[in-house]
Amino acid sequence: MSISRLLIANRGEIAVRIARTAHRLGIDTVGVYSEPDRNALHVDSVDVAIALGGATAADSYLRGDAVIAAALAAGADAIHPGYGFLAENAAFARAVIDAGLVWVGPTPEQVTLLGDKVAAKRAALAAGVPTTSMIDVVDGKVVGDDVVAYPALVKAAAGGGGRGMRVVRSADELDDAVAAASREALSAFGDGAVFIEPYLERGRHVEVQIMGDRHGNVIHLGERECSIQRRNQKIVEESPSAGIPQEIRAALCDGAVALARHVGYEGAGTVEFMVGADGTITFLEVNTRLQVEHPVTEAVTGLDLVELQLRVAAGDPLPITQDEVVISGHAIEVRVVAEDPAAGWMPSTGHIDRFDIGSGVRVDTGVRAGSVISSDYDSLVAKVIAHAPTRPGAARQLARALRTSQITGIRTNLDTLVAICAEADFLAADTPTAYLDEHPAVVAPLGPTGDDRVALLLGAVFALEFEHRSTDRGAPFAPSGWRNLRTQGQRQVWTEVTGEHLHVEYTMAQAWQPGGETLRTATVRLGPWPEPDETGALSPDDRPELTVRLLERFVGRQTVEIDGRRQVVDTDVVHPMLGLDDDGVGAVTVHVRSSAGALTLTRAPRFLLHDAESATGGPISPLPGTVIAVHVAAGDAVVDGQLLMVVEAMKMEHKIVASGDATVAEVRFAVGDRVDTGELLVALEHHESEES
Amino acid sequence: MTIGTVLRSRLDTKSDEYRENLAAMEQLWDVVAAELATVPTIGGQRYVDRHRTRGKMLVRERIEALIDPDTPFLELSPLAGWGTQDPVGVGSCAGIGIVEGVECAISGSDMTYRGGSGNPTTWKKGSRFHEIARENRLPVIVLNESAGADLPRQADLFIQGGASFKDLTQLSKLGIPSITMAFGPNTAGGAYTPGMSDYTVFVKGKGTAYLGGPPLVKMAIDEIVDEETLGGAEMHSRTSGLSDYLAVDEMDAIRITRSIVRHLRWTKLGPGASEPDDPPLYDPAELMGCASADVRIPFDIREVLARLLDGSRFEEFKPLYGDKLVCGWGSIHGFPVGILGNNGILFSEEASKAAQFIQLCNKRDTPLAFLHNITGFMVGSKAEQGGIIRNGAKMINAVSNSTVPHFNLMVGASYGAGNYGMAGKAYNPRFIFSWPNHRVAVMGPKQLAGVMEIVARNAAAGRGIEIDEDALAAQTAGLEAQIEHESTALYSTGRLWDDGIIHPADSRTVMGMALSAVHGNVVQGATEYGVWRH
Repeated sequence: MSISRLLIANRGEIAVRIARTAHRLGIDTVGVYSEPDRNALHVDSVDVAIALGGATAADSYLRGDAVIAAALAAGADAIHPGYGFLAENAAFARAVIDAGLVWVGPTPEQVTLLGDKVAAKRAALAAGVPTTSMIDVVDGKVVGDDVVAYPALVKAAAGGGGRGMRVVRSADELDDAVAAASREALSAFGDGAVFIEPYLERGRHVEVQIMGDRHGNVIHLGERECSIQRRNQKIVEESPSAGIPQEIRAALCDGAVALARHVGYEGAGTVEFMVGADGTITFLEVNTRLQVEHPVTEAVTGLDLVELQLRVAAGDPLPITQDEVVISGHAIEVRVVAEDPAAGWMPSTGHIDRFDIGSGVRVDTGVRAGSVISSDYDSLVAKVIAHAPTRPGAARQLARALRTSQITGIRTNLDTLVAICAEADFLAADTPTAYLDEHPAVVAPLGPTGDDRVALLLGAVFALEFEHRSTDRGAPFAPSGWRNLRTQGQRQVWTEVTGEHLHVEYTMAQAWQPGGETLRTATVRLGPWPEPDETGALSPDDRPELTVRLLERFVGRQTVEIDGRRQVVDTDVVHPMLGLDDDGVGAVTVHVRSSAGALTLTRAPRFLLHDAESATGGPISPLPGTVIAVHVAAGDAVVDGQLLMVVEAMKMEHKIVASGDATVAEVRFAVGDRVDTGELLVALEHHESEES
Repeated sequence: MTIGTVLRSRLDTKSDEYRENLAAMEQLWDVVAAELATVPTIGGQRYVDRHRTRGKMLVRERIEALIDPDTPFLELSPLAGWGTQDPVGVGSCAGIGIVEGVECAISGSDMTYRGGSGNPTTWKKGSRFHEIARENRLPVIVLNESAGADLPRQADLFIQGGASFKDLTQLSKLGIPSITMAFGPNTAGGAYTPGMSDYTVFVKGKGTAYLGGPPLVKMAIDEIVDEETLGGAEMHSRTSGLSDYLAVDEMDAIRITRSIVRHLRWTKLGPGASEPDDPPLYDPAELMGCASADVRIPFDIREVLARLLDGSRFEEFKPLYGDKLVCGWGSIHGFPVGILGNNGILFSEEASKAAQFIQLCNKRDTPLAFLHNITGFMVGSKAEQGGIIRNGAKMINAVSNSTVPHFNLMVGASYGAGNYGMAGKAYNPRFIFSWPNHRVAVMGPKQLAGVMEIVARNAAAGRGIEIDEDALAAQTAGLEAQIEHESTALYSTGRLWDDGIIHPADSRTVMGMALSAVHGNVVQGATEYGVWRH
């Protein structure tokens, strides 16, 4: 039963990645797409693609019947589900098989058994896998006399990826956590069942890649450590784990293989564990699919996991034995996600203007410049994988690639990933799952500092200045900011992502060079310019002065030499909208990048539109999403911090709270309504404060 | 395809001679620069500070906020009033700046000098400003804040001063828009500045306009009234209709003004730059040293052209005829221009060559740049018998009836009728800019004093009076010193004989901006006659 035409029932980077292996093996590919994805990279990466219609996952990639119909219509003989969506849906797997197609994955029975975390844990115990115990929850309450020890973890029985998971630190939080986890699980997986297990503080997340065939062969491909997580979702993954001793590694790998053998596992799977600081091992779950982080295993084993999946699905025996699996070097993967770490990992949506990942690394992605990140799907933008003989080597390789990467149009976690790669505890492999909580500095990193930062700022300044001179219709030939009676320099005010303002004042001179070249030199002063005090006198001017030579200038690139130090800065100037003069009321954003890293700066508008200043009188939507809960009604009195509404975007729940004591004047959206960034959600009439 | 061939410089910029001349020019410039530095705060620190405590910007700060970022601003007549009883700069700022991509004539009053009140030279500068706006079709933006006329000086101001309101409305008739921002008081006559403008923007709580202020109203009709009720921005915006736009603050007024300029959809009538705009082959910074600091020392005007013209390209007309006047074609920042540059004195040949060249450029619709380096028309019997008056008359005739835009660049002396033949101030050139070494007078101070000494000796001899040699020597020396003082570039610019003294190295930029400005209007030569081969 060979596979000649494969339908890939997925989108994004994994669809692209599966197609790449399929094509290498001579297998034709069929893709599927939702309406917003109609021109996505993954659709271009397959030989033929079938429209599913719809925008949300439920209306598109989760429609199993439509996927199977597409496969049959396109003459496919197999379906690879990727990860997420239908990958762990046993009913779908069964329907695929019933339709006479090859299902690339474990059997529906295995999916059912292992997909239920409770059943999986029982199987693990039966197979002799090392693990702690668990507590069942029925109808939101703990079953029987089990006593919950805190901290505890509430987990959805179905699904994975951290969704439907809550850490509970005290008994009074338990009911809310169970309810929230259950609601999230129901929304994400259609199953609200949850259970409780001990939460291992400072534990590490270590998982074992397993591979089985229908001839009874099971092997493991070593372990991965995926401890660095935000909101229980992995963000840095590596293989092998640098934080566990050999005997733990052996126990995990042997346990994983034992469990696989116990259930007669076919295909690729991952057995996940938590390893406490004291060596305590908790079995978490089995993911009956390809994992997002599989590339690190591919890097250190030299194997193509998708190829193995396809071979096994076609009924072939595994082409290698356990003895032939050799782990070579160290691989680290990071997930670049469309989220703003500094804003609580707030999802960011929008149009990607520039997408450029540094060299020397493997990049798995489903986007390109021009792609749109919407709130309909998850926030993964790209996976960047480094592989070197040693862990420090891989970390250095990755750091450089990330530092020289630039993604604009959306917020990403690139800066955080760069900071992690250079952080001492990470380099020392001291990475419990609480790593990000323990290292707030990497979550809101400063980015490049010192001279590097000044070079980036000046790159932005002179990119804008260059653009102004290039577009001057009045006297384009005149030297920049030329005056015959000068009273001040050219001034720009920039805003950093942190909200900090940067004042730059410069005067420019140009020198004639033999051969007709003109060399421009700027005298730059950094910091707020003198402003009048209450007597009208100007404050003293103690700004440092820099001499900056602008060695080479192009659209998109400024080469600046600051006091003798040369730095190339790539610049991407983004205007607020077509035709709106940048110095009118719109802010201009410039993304800058040098070998030292990247920065996004916004030039403050020169003028304010005063009629747009009036207060909106209530909370506005922080991002585009869907209202999933409304807690107040018109006329209600609310207190500062009271929950008004919950908006879900990109699978995350965002609480909308009152910013002071007030009366609700109007609730502007109902459950299920879509809201956009900046929309007034709840109109409040604030109570006069007592002082006034 | 380019105009002309490349000029080769013979100037040795490493020679002692060049360096000494450069040093002398730099000294002359330093004096000008020191005067320029006093202008922005000429009102005195106390009044500047008081102005700022009121949350107001100085006039040049307002202009900085008004014009497009990183664009140039050419301030006109910044040293007007130098050497007069009026302050240097005359309490106003005028110039050409770019707003929303449109070259505009921008003028503002300096509230820190005697409350922004106008003196006689303010009026002269304002009159010249309106002339430049009208001739070159530049939209006018006025940043107004003025107590009106400087009352003690009313005798020298009142009668002529009224023309500024006529100017504004005549500009409007010509389709040249005017926008006035009221940042502070617009009192008495000053109230007609917004009154006669196409558009007015008043700053809330700051801009006021009334014919008579509260004290005068009390005196005249015994009404007690506050400023806001009498002529506040809100009142004029909501009740009288004098204000078209009410601005929240100064920056808002500037924002609104920029928005008004956007809706003008302004287009220039001239053809604009048409030639390649490549830098000269020689460093324009060397312009500082290539004209003689001492105008009595001759220099070759081609050395200036080699650093002024695009690519140092120049097509010389009649190079073998009348070689004391260099004529020919080139371009500055892409704008084609006919050049007349003196290498000293004008003879008959030079004068008739000039007349022919001026008429040619009129037929070609090419603006003319006159580079003054002239000691006058030749005198003496040979010259007279050769018809120097007749030939000079041709030149003055040609230049007087020429209709292409004229520019004066004063790179040296401009003495005698040579000034007239070279389209001097009285011949209404569109722009006149001077280098710091410039001298202008009916003749050189030494010659003038010498002439007067001979006249005195002849008069004494005629009456049989014995000469008091010491007194005559003192009188001659005194006269020479007086004429020397009255011939300087500063004296000239103080009386608005030019539009400003510029740094020689800025000549390409200034000439480029001036050429660009004149293309705001049609560039068309005289059509009445063909070219005379004089």
